[in-house]
Amino acid sequence: MYDDFANPWNIRLKWLYLLGVVFALLMPVFYTIYISFNQHGFGARIYEFTFDWYRVVLGDTLLVVSLKWTVYLALAAIALTIPMALLSAKFYKRTRRKVAFVALMLSPLFVPADIMGSSLLVFFKNLANGFVWLDEALGVYWFDGWFDLGFLTALIGQVIYVHPYAFIVILITMSRYRVQQTEAARACGATAWQAFWQVEFPQIRVGVFSSCAFVTILSFNEAVRTALLKGGFDTFSNVLVAQMLNIGMSGESYAMAGIMSIVSMLVIGSVIVFTLLRTERLERRARAMAEPVMSS
Amino acid sequence: MTQSSDIAVEVADLAKNYGPVRALNSVSFSIESGQYYALLGPSGGGKTTLLRLIGGFLRPSAGRVYLHGEDVSHLPPNRRPTSMVFQNYALFPHMNVERNVAYGLKLLKAPPGEIRDKVERMLAMVGLEGYNRRMPHELSGGQQQRVQLARSLVLERDILLLDEPLASLDAKLRKDMCLELKRIQEKVGITFIHVTHNQEEALTVADRIAIIADGELVEEGTARDIYETPQKRFTAEFIGDNNVLDGIVSDISDGRVTVDLGFASVEVPSHGLAAAKGNGVALSVRSELLRIVDGEPDASWQVMPATYVEAIYLGLTISHLVRLPDGTEIVARVISGEPSDEVFESGRDVTVGWPGDRARLHIA
Repeated sequence: MYDDFANPWNIRLKWLYLLGVVFALLMPVFYTIYISFNQHGFGARIYEFTFDWYRVVLGDTLLVVSLKWTVYLALAAIALTIPMALLSAKFYKRTRRKVAFVALMLSPLFVPADIMGSSLLVFFKNLANGFVWLDEALGVYWFDGWFDLGFLTALIGQVIYVHPYAFIVILITMSRYRVQQTEAARACGATAWQAFWQVEFPQIRVGVFSSCAFVTILSFNEAVRTALLKGGFDTFSNVLVAQMLNIGMSGESYAMAGIMSIVSMLVIGSVIVFTLLRTERLERRARAMAEPVMSS
Repeated sequence: MTQSSDIAVEVADLAKNYGPVRALNSVSFSIESGQYYALLGPSGGGKTTLLRLIGGFLRPSAGRVYLHGEDVSHLPPNRRPTSMVFQNYALFPHMNVERNVAYGLKLLKAPPGEIRDKVERMLAMVGLEGYNRRMPHELSGGQQQRVQLARSLVLERDILLLDEPLASLDAKLRKDMCLELKRIQEKVGITFIHVTHNQEEALTVADRIAIIADGELVEEGTARDIYETPQKRFTAEFIGDNNVLDGIVSDISDGRVTVDLGFASVEVPSHGLAAAKGNGVALSVRSELLRIVDGEPDASWQVMPATYVEAIYLGLTISHLVRLPDGTEIVARVISGEPSDEVFESGRDVTVGWPGDRARLHIA
């Protein structure tokens, strides 16, 4: 908030600083994308624009399969995490022990990725052994293979990782929601589900969709936990990291990094543009309909 | 428990605890069909808890709620024959006025034509014809409350709960809306239960008032009874502008109790209260009945010596502040411009008094 007497240069300098920070943060990403379109790759004196590296990536079966697994993982993580985050946010609004609850919800963020991944790995290994023992004890094969490393274990690791983020994003949107509206809906005859779906959800929809976008991006970016828990398949970031570690950055690696950056920015950009357009549309409609508002 | 078809609401030994805190303590009363009933009391006294228990938004810790004789204590709000108007923020902000009002009817799967007709009729009743397409944020506070009212009334349920519906409005609008609420209630003829901490609001709209404080039902009666003849000391202190004096019963005869205030003895009608000689009691006199007596008072008047402190001009009335010999300050309120609005010099000895039968005795 600026007053009328504020020095306009203060405002300009603050904006300049903000743009500088954003520029510095995004510079490496844009540089990577820039390199990914160079026929001669990183460090070449000549820049020749090409899509060849992207063609190579998208023509590589290993990469396409890893991309497919990443999308599956992202979709499954969305399907599981968003309802869980919604329930957590609703519970947060009802509980009296809010600080303890938030601390509990955010606690996975405070555990380093490799520690969390390896802990889950040990846990799932023991769990799988436990089920094998149970099979043997019962003389059956019902639990054979349960919690062997694979898609399910990778998904659980992913959900534990993305849930706090989804929870926070939904909670921020939900904080503006007034519980009186749910009560008013109930007083009009709505069941608890109808009140949620018809009254509450339309108002927190933006947060829910933003969470979906966020979970997608995190699924594309996550490497460590998935690498430890995935079993027999590879995700896109696993392949990228493995390539970087084994053969260094190639033109293909830049294209893969470019794909991930572009997907992330497109998703976030779409959310921002959608939100801005929606706000502007609502404001335009309000202005068009506005008549002098009487005091009674 | 009495169950009659004329009784719209009956609560029996209703209590609500929040952990160790008892918000409502074994309250019982009943409300006749078609009455405008106000739950009046200080903030945090339990009146909203009581209303929410009636509406089904809270589950009672003990006791029962009967609506039209049927025990509904176990039913959620959507299965009770009630609707509710909230203090604020209760309109659905993503729906326009028409969709807000039609919401309950759509849940009932009423035909579109019927919904349209009823919504139009209800908006006309609350004076919002032509506002159908407005969004809630394009309405003033008063208009928003009217939409809430229309949304509740359109359901044609016969008990309407109003939780501080005018609290967020300015004083002028609140006064207008009070009269509007009363008019609408008389027109639709259903039972209104109105929670407020504003006594003027309660006195304006209510046929009967229940005073709720500290989780207890302190007193219940018509607006006039509550104002003019409060039974309980708390009511006298809360309603109107009463002067409350403590004393000891020194004599009882012919339905009159003589109270020794320490610096004067005054007589008060006992109104059947079981006062006993030597017991501590209180008496209350409304400030508009108290007068600074100039000259010889009428024999029927009860009088006390006092010292004049100051006059406070309040527009319609002037409040004369006087100090009794024990240090208690009391107020005599007169209409500005009347002969009795004479202002005295501060520190002057005066006599104050009231017509003999107008003070109330309180033993609790």
